[in-house]
Amino acid sequence: MIENSTPIADRNDNFTRSAGKQLAVYALYAVVTLAVVVYLLAIAAGHTGSNGADMGINVANNSITIALREEPPQLDTGRSTDGASVIVLSHAFEGLIAYDEEAQLTPGVAERWEIRTDGATFWLREDARWSDGQPVTAHDFEFAWKRAIDPATASEYSFIFYSIKNAEAINTGQLPKETLGVRAVNDRLLEVEFEQATPYFDKLVAFVTYFPVREDFYERTDGRYGADADELLYNGPYMITEWVHSASMIWKKNPYYWNDKRGFLDEIRVAYITADTNAKLNLFKDGQIADTHLESPMLPSAMAAHWQIDRAMDGTVFFVVFNHRPGRVTDNLNLRKAMLYAQDPVELVNKALKDAAFLPAASLFPVWVGGVKEKFREEYAAPKHQMDLEKARHHLELAKQELGLAAIPPLVLLVDAQPVSQLAATYYQELYRQRLGLEIRIDSQIFKQRLAKMTAGDFDITVAGWAPDYDDALTYGEFFASWNLQNRGRYASADMDADVRIAQTSLDQKERMDAFGRIQQLVYDDVAMIPMYERGWSFVVDPRLKGFRRRSVGPEIDYNYAYIDVSSD
Amino acid sequence: MTGIAAAEFARQASTEHAQTLSRPSLSYWQDARIRLQSNRRALVSLFIVISLLILTLLGPVLWSVNPAAQDLDQISVPPGRDRSALVVAEYTPWVIPAGTVAELQLADTATTQSVRLQWAGLPGAYGHRVYRNLYPVGPERAYGIPLGEFFDNSTLNFEDRLDLRPGTYYYSVVALAENGRPGTVAETLRVDVRRTTTVNEALAQGLVGSAADIALGDSLQVALHPLGTDYLGRDMLARLMEGARVSLFIGIIAPFIYVLMGVVYGAVSGFAGGKVDQVMMRFADFVVALPFLLFMILFKIAFGIGPGESGIFPMLIAMIVLLWPATARLVRGQILQIREQGYVEASKLLGAKSSYLIFRHMLPNTLGVVLVTLTFEIPRAIFTEAFLSFIGMGVAPPTPSWGSMSNEGIKTMLNTPHELIFPALLISITVLAFNLLGDGLRDALDARMRNTE
Repeated sequence: MIENSTPIADRNDNFTRSAGKQLAVYALYAVVTLAVVVYLLAIAAGHTGSNGADMGINVANNSITIALREEPPQLDTGRSTDGASVIVLSHAFEGLIAYDEEAQLTPGVAERWEIRTDGATFWLREDARWSDGQPVTAHDFEFAWKRAIDPATASEYSFIFYSIKNAEAINTGQLPKETLGVRAVNDRLLEVEFEQATPYFDKLVAFVTYFPVREDFYERTDGRYGADADELLYNGPYMITEWVHSASMIWKKNPYYWNDKRGFLDEIRVAYITADTNAKLNLFKDGQIADTHLESPMLPSAMAAHWQIDRAMDGTVFFVVFNHRPGRVTDNLNLRKAMLYAQDPVELVNKALKDAAFLPAASLFPVWVGGVKEKFREEYAAPKHQMDLEKARHHLELAKQELGLAAIPPLVLLVDAQPVSQLAATYYQELYRQRLGLEIRIDSQIFKQRLAKMTAGDFDITVAGWAPDYDDALTYGEFFASWNLQNRGRYASADMDADVRIAQTSLDQKERMDAFGRIQQLVYDDVAMIPMYERGWSFVVDPRLKGFRRRSVGPEIDYNYAYIDVSSD
Repeated sequence: MTGIAAAEFARQASTEHAQTLSRPSLSYWQDARIRLQSNRRALVSLFIVISLLILTLLGPVLWSVNPAAQDLDQISVPPGRDRSALVVAEYTPWVIPAGTVAELQLADTATTQSVRLQWAGLPGAYGHRVYRNLYPVGPERAYGIPLGEFFDNSTLNFEDRLDLRPGTYYYSVVALAENGRPGTVAETLRVDVRRTTTVNEALAQGLVGSAADIALGDSLQVALHPLGTDYLGRDMLARLMEGARVSLFIGIIAPFIYVLMGVVYGAVSGFAGGKVDQVMMRFADFVVALPFLLFMILFKIAFGIGPGESGIFPMLIAMIVLLWPATARLVRGQILQIREQGYVEASKLLGAKSSYLIFRHMLPNTLGVVLVTLTFEIPRAIFTEAFLSFIGMGVAPPTPSWGSMSNEGIKTMLNTPHELIFPALLISITVLAFNLLGDGLRDALDARMRNTE
């Protein structure tokens, strides 16, 4: 028996071997078949791509197809806060004052206006029309503003009216909304009374919350105003004719719009609502959409495809905010100085984030903000920053002495879950460990949770991004005012507050900019924050679409001046 | 009737043994070992598993690179790249030379530290925009990535420091029209960028003993990264070994504990039978119905895992608490079956006690099943860890795990595939090895298969 067992094992082995061979042959067949199928599908996919090439730009119908990153939750101008709503509303509505092609203020519904210390007057044009043909009147603005400031509306942007007389008192429920300092003298004359001098009021009225709402139409919608395409009345270059929620929208040219120079396109189809940039890139490749933005990993393939890549600043400035609440180690100036001198935003952008459209930040104010005559940053240079490890370590020693600590306890860095924030956080974590021996613990939270923790002060350092609401340096300058709720680190300084007050109320542009210049220096000297980067986008547009803009203030993507031009220049 | 003579009877020769054993007596384990040894796939898998353990335990001793250290001179470098670098002075801000130049040209040697460009104002320009391309500019006027722009003619120079890699770039300067939009007039320059490093960097990386050993202009080899680096210039090999600790810790400890729990629970339930069995198995059904991911999140909160702390411990607890019922069911089924076997009955009739029955008859007979379950649960646990880290529920940075490394690598999959391939490959190999080993063990330990030979 024992001699028998070997052949059996051998037979078994042979069996396994031949089965293995069989299996290998099957696997080979499977791989070959798969390769052939993939190849055929790739060819087929290529064909569908070329068939759909007319989708993105349809020359015959004078229309384009685009993709939005998110769907607007609703389109009530009084209650909208998010970027997607601002994009749609900026095409479907027009305020008293609008932005022109080059992002300069231009007359909108108002033909002309006057801003004084105590108030403002707007003269409305005769030919401004709603999408049902009726004229846009001063009463529509009065109604819209009084409605937005009404505490019952609970608009998150009600604070943007606070320069109008009684606005804050009305919003906090101390006065009835009828007392708001705005009055339609007649259909074409709107009078505004200020709570305090507001030299930048012309820039405020270009914001969506200041857009008009017609009272009789609003009453008819019975609380559903802005919830659907037919629950809205439009006065802008485009009107929304179809809105399939979370799927698509169609914007058609508004036939009653007064300015023929805007609204060159007959139709804009929002065929895709997706945040997936890779999907959008593929749609653009196939000619299904007219434009898309590019993340830095996509740039090599965009270069290989020989696309004309463009760039634009997004307006948002990112910075590392310290928690200045008493009791926190980050309340110590020397510790903050140590952390400031140990890093360099240029290295952050060039080596860690590696995004060509980002600009290393040097100040609270971005490069494009206007100053007295030129750009603010040209007139008031940002404090010169140079990384200096000697200085950083010296300040760290001072901080330890002042705090009476042998070592700085681990610092909690609160960030959101976005990939770019995670990347920056990991970079800082290693940087401070290596250069200063500081331990940083990363606390990544989803947006709402992070906001709650920021408001509660449950952090040592956090990354904050600040996007402008209006085109004036004040939107950044008042960030660190002690009463500003956005100042989540609770930085407080009497000098800062005094300068913010000057900037808010002075009518002398030079005096205001001087104040901003002092704020810029104070932020650096006090290390209220560490500048990180100014966000920008690399993007591509179908070369046949002209006049498309990406903006720092107002809608992120703007088709208001876009037109199709097939001639190649 | 003839009688039978006594002489006809002969005494049968006595033999020592009634029968000879034709093959050596093999215990259960000896037999299992022999069969496992003849299974080549299982042996290779076993070898892989052992090498993984060595990699985890001994690897960091042999390759003692800090997995969190960022080598910012070598970002996303694939393995096997040329490492020679020129030693240059520490970066100093550019002092723009006075005077004008005739055309787009380099103001300085182009290095990975910086590329400094100067140009003459283009005709009719209201400003300039600087582009960088990987390809020569063709008739499409695709100049590449816009790097910077100047809206007046006072700035005619640009310094590029963005993520420079050794290689060839095509820089273009394009004239801006009055409205700030790029026009049609442009100038292009081909630039060959050399890898550089500084004396301080070389010292910090431990490439040279002292500053006296090298001088500016020398050429040296920058730090070796056998498997390349990731998006922050961290050594992939060191991170993979560090990540293996997390992956294998979870992959081995968690199944060991919950399989053991399952065995005890299942054995008690099966042996007791009746009402007790009913109640215990309904409780097991209840646990099976609990959603794993939800519990994982709840545990993470309940344990008060603060910021920057690893989620490994709650993950371990969640797995132990939720994953034992599968083994328990299996073992219970086996015990129920064995309980009715003849030899158990015989043993009982001979007066064996419960403990003897359990330890002598029942557990040894379920051991095969248990071991097989264990080897199949290990890859499952590794995969769960990888998945949880992939969705950000696992380890906290900078601690890597294979799952979180894959998650990071997938973002740059097209440009630097090695950041995804290595961790993904390790997960695949480990899971496959444990699966094949489990397969081999099942074949070796299954008593029924033993009878067929």
